[in-house]
Order: sequence, then structure tokens, then C-alpha cells
Amino acid sequence: MNTAIDTARLSPPPRQSLVKLLAWGVIFATLAWSWSGAEIRPMALITDGANMGTFLADFFPPNFHDWRYYLEEMVITLHIAIWGTALAVVCAVPFGLLCAENVAPAWINQPVRRMMDSCRAINEMVFAMLFVVAVGLGPFAGVLALFVHTTGILAKLFSEAVEAIDPRPVEGIRATGANLLEEIVYGIIPQVMPLWISYSLYRFESNVRSATVVGMVGAGGIGVVLWEIIRGFYFAETCAVMLIIIATVSIIDIASSRLRKLFI
Amino acid sequence: MTKAAKVMVPAIKVTRLHKTFNCCKALDGVSLDINPGEMVALIGASGSGKSTLLRHVAGLAVGDSSAQGGSIEVMGRPVQARGRLASDIRATRARIGFVFQQFNLVGRLPVMTNVLTGSLGRLPSWRSLTGLFPLEDRERAFDALTRVGISETAWQRASTLSGGQQQRAAIARTLVQRAEIILADEPIASLDPESSRRVMETLATINAEDKTTVVVCLHQVDFAIRYCPRTIALKKGQIVFDGASSDLTPSALRDLYGAEADELSAPIQGSASFITDTALAVAG
Repeated sequence: MNTAIDTARLSPPPRQSLVKLLAWGVIFATLAWSWSGAEIRPMALITDGANMGTFLADFFPPNFHDWRYYLEEMVITLHIAIWGTALAVVCAVPFGLLCAENVAPAWINQPVRRMMDSCRAINEMVFAMLFVVAVGLGPFAGVLALFVHTTGILAKLFSEAVEAIDPRPVEGIRATGANLLEEIVYGIIPQVMPLWISYSLYRFESNVRSATVVGMVGAGGIGVVLWEIIRGFYFAETCAVMLIIIATVSIIDIASSRLRKLFI
Repeated sequence: MTKAAKVMVPAIKVTRLHKTFNCCKALDGVSLDINPGEMVALIGASGSGKSTLLRHVAGLAVGDSSAQGGSIEVMGRPVQARGRLASDIRATRARIGFVFQQFNLVGRLPVMTNVLTGSLGRLPSWRSLTGLFPLEDRERAFDALTRVGISETAWQRASTLSGGQQQRAAIARTLVQRAEIILADEPIASLDPESSRRVMETLATINAEDKTTVVVCLHQVDFAIRYCPRTIALKKGQIVFDGASSDLTPSALRDLYGAEADELSAPIQGSASFITDTALAVAG
């Protein structure tokens, strides 16, 4: 009799198992539901295997003949990412503070949050297409696209950091007769600085990746080159450009994650 | 002394202050006068309302609005009345130094900057927001750190200091503030006995030398008797005793607090208290 009680105690209660089973059921049902809409045809990978092999062979060996040009455009892509991120950081500081519940009252932070939501909801590619129309083809359109989208993301991340601060030091500053701005500069910003720097560097990393694609709609940088050579079926050159992008993005990722570790 | 005090504007004047939190009354018609230059202990068990009272005096909390009266004046200037803060509350706060139980320093800033924030109330915004503190204030900050005995830590991050050092830095902040009143909310509750003694001595010295009014919340009567000539005792949001600290004998405390008296009369450790010595002798 004792052993029977013990085994019952050792397995999870039946309700927990049921919930687990249900969760798996929902996951599989969702996958099955999306199958036809996404036109999943695994057989195509096998039947068209030979074609893909020929296609892949066209990429090798990569053609680095125009490497100077590719590098120049890659550097411009970096420039787009740098300015897009820098402008976003500058704007995300006030917007992030205005989004924070412990800084601004609801009638300010709710509208500002919705505004930031909309900046975030639209992909930077869409913004890039719009800005190409507004300010013409070229890197500046890319900068503006990254700037608007990244402001939305950073403002949200910054405000979450502000909402998680320790309120006691801020009260210490308030007790000296400081005004709201002084409370923010001396009580809040020193507390959130490490996180803010870390988030900004992370967004810079992502923006280098994004800057390589905003070019495809004409917003400057390596993306423009990539788009032209893909359309012209220059696959060896495409391979060279892709390798340059991979190398640059990897270097930036490694450098920035090293740098971020210093601030946490 | 009391005759002279009556002509003076009281440093702190609280009139029929009420404060109700969701469940219960934290302050129940508190009225008191404290004269300039006094050093007063505010005692009471946890939940008696002593910290709440102090926070109201600094304008960090507001009393009930419905109550008739419910006003606080500091140096003759209104802090709050009927549940509303005065419009010039920041100018009044600048004259009140507040010392917190948890020190409330900004851990990532140097001690020096923390102490310099005491001058924020009187600096123009372009100076305070850019961090360009005038030389005079920086000298004052360093002198304040020297006075509380931690000038060697001036450029360390505040978070690297011990609790006792952080509390003395917080006191230095009130010195830079040139506060006319220091309100200390349980300043020694998180400190070891030796640090507690140093913090209380620092406050007593400032009171004696600068004639700064000091009101300090304590829950150990021993400290009140040793450092503060006057004690105000609170129980369930009401003042139950206001007089000379020397009148607070153990039997008087038992009359005031009953079983709660034990919490208040915990002896200062390391100070050869008769009771603990006897207890040890019996136990040994």
C-alpha cells in the first residue's frame, strides 16, 4: 500500500500532464493548418535537385574582380547603419522616457507608446521604399528608414529599462529640491546607462544587417549592388558580395558583443 | 529656553495631520511643534507611523485631503495643506535634508557627485544638467566629506562603500544642501552597532555646531536617550509621549507600549548594558 502512494507522488498530477498534451496538440494543429497556405512541397527539393545543383555550381568560384567597388559600397552600408542608429539613439532617449510609466503620466505615455508601436510595426524595407520616393534614391533614404524603425524599437527597450529602476535613489535626488529633469539626469540615467548602451550596440549590429537589404529598394549601399547582379544572373559576383557581407556582419557582431559585455 | 522658543517661528509645525492607507490609519491627527536647533527623536514600533510622518514633513507624501487642517509648515513656509503640496515645494525641500534608511545614493555615480546633488536646488538648470558644478560647491562637497570622515572615498562609486560610509555620504549631501533641517528616517536601522554610533554622533555634531534642527526616527530608545534631548513617541499614528528623553524609563515605556516595549528597548550592542550582562552571567 505504501508503494502505491509513493509512485503516485513521483509522477506529476494528472492535470499537468493533460495541459502538456494539449499544448503539443495546439502546436501540431497550427503547423498542419499552415501547411497548404505556405505551399510546402518537400518533394520539390528532390525532383528539382539536379537544377539546384547546377544553380549552386554557378556561384563557385566567387568572382572578386570588382572587390574595390564592393568594399566601397560595403563601407557606405556601414555609414548608413551608423547614422541610422545614432539618430535613433538620440530620439529614443526622450521618447523612451516619455513612454515610461514612472516618468510620464498616462495621458502622455499612452499616445507616445502608440506612436512608437507604429514606427516598430512597419518593416524598415517598407520605410525605405517610402523614403526613396520622398528624398530620392541613395543612402540618405536608407538612413531615414533605419532611423524611424530603430527609434520605435529603442524607445520601447529604453522605457522598459527606466521602468525597472530602483526608485529610492530618485527619491534621494528629489529630496534635495531637484526638478524633474535633474531627477532624470542624476537619478534615472546613471541607473539605466549600461542597459541603454548595450541595447544601442545590439541595434547597431542589427542595423548593419538591415542596411545590406534596404539597398535592394534603391536606398544605397551594398544592397543596390546585390540587387543588380542578382537580376543580371552574375552568380559568381553575387557569391563574392555575399561573402563580403558575411565577413563584415560577423566582424561587427563579434566586436559589438565584446563591447556590450563591458557595460553589463 | 521655552520662553525664547515661543517667539521663534517653529522649524517644523504639523497641525492635525491624518493619513489613511488602503486598510488603516497611518497618522491619526498628529500635531507637533519643533523649534529651530532642536534634536528630536521620533520613536515607535514598526507601523506606528513615524517614517510616514517624516516623509510628509519633507513633502515626499501627502496627507488626507478630507481632514480639516492637515497642514505642515517648515520654517514658516507651507509644505502641504489639505492633501495638496505647496506650489513652491521644491524650494522648501532644498532647505530640508533627508537621510534615508537605505541611504538612497545613486550607486553608479561617484560619492563626490552624489554629495554634489545636494546643491541641485539652488543651481541654474544649465549648470545642473551639464554637471558643471561651481568650484565653490565642489569645495563645499569635499569639506563635507572630510567632516563626516570619508574624504578618501570621494571618487569611488557610491556602491563600493560600506553601509555606514554610504549613510555618512548621505549626511554630507545634506551639508552641501546647507539644509536648515535634517530629517533622518531610520538612519541606523540597516547598520552595525559601530557604524550606527558614528552616524548618530555625526548627526549630533552637526546639530551642535551648525544649529541645524535634526529629527531622527529610531526604534531603539537607547539611542534616543543618548543623543536626543527630546523624544516624541508614536503609537498607531498618534502621539503618546512628547517630552524629555530622560523620562523614558523602562516602566514608562511599558506603560506606553505594553508588549511592544521590548522591540523598542533592545539595548545598544557593545555598550555594556546591564540587562544583557546579567543575562549572559545567568546563561554562563
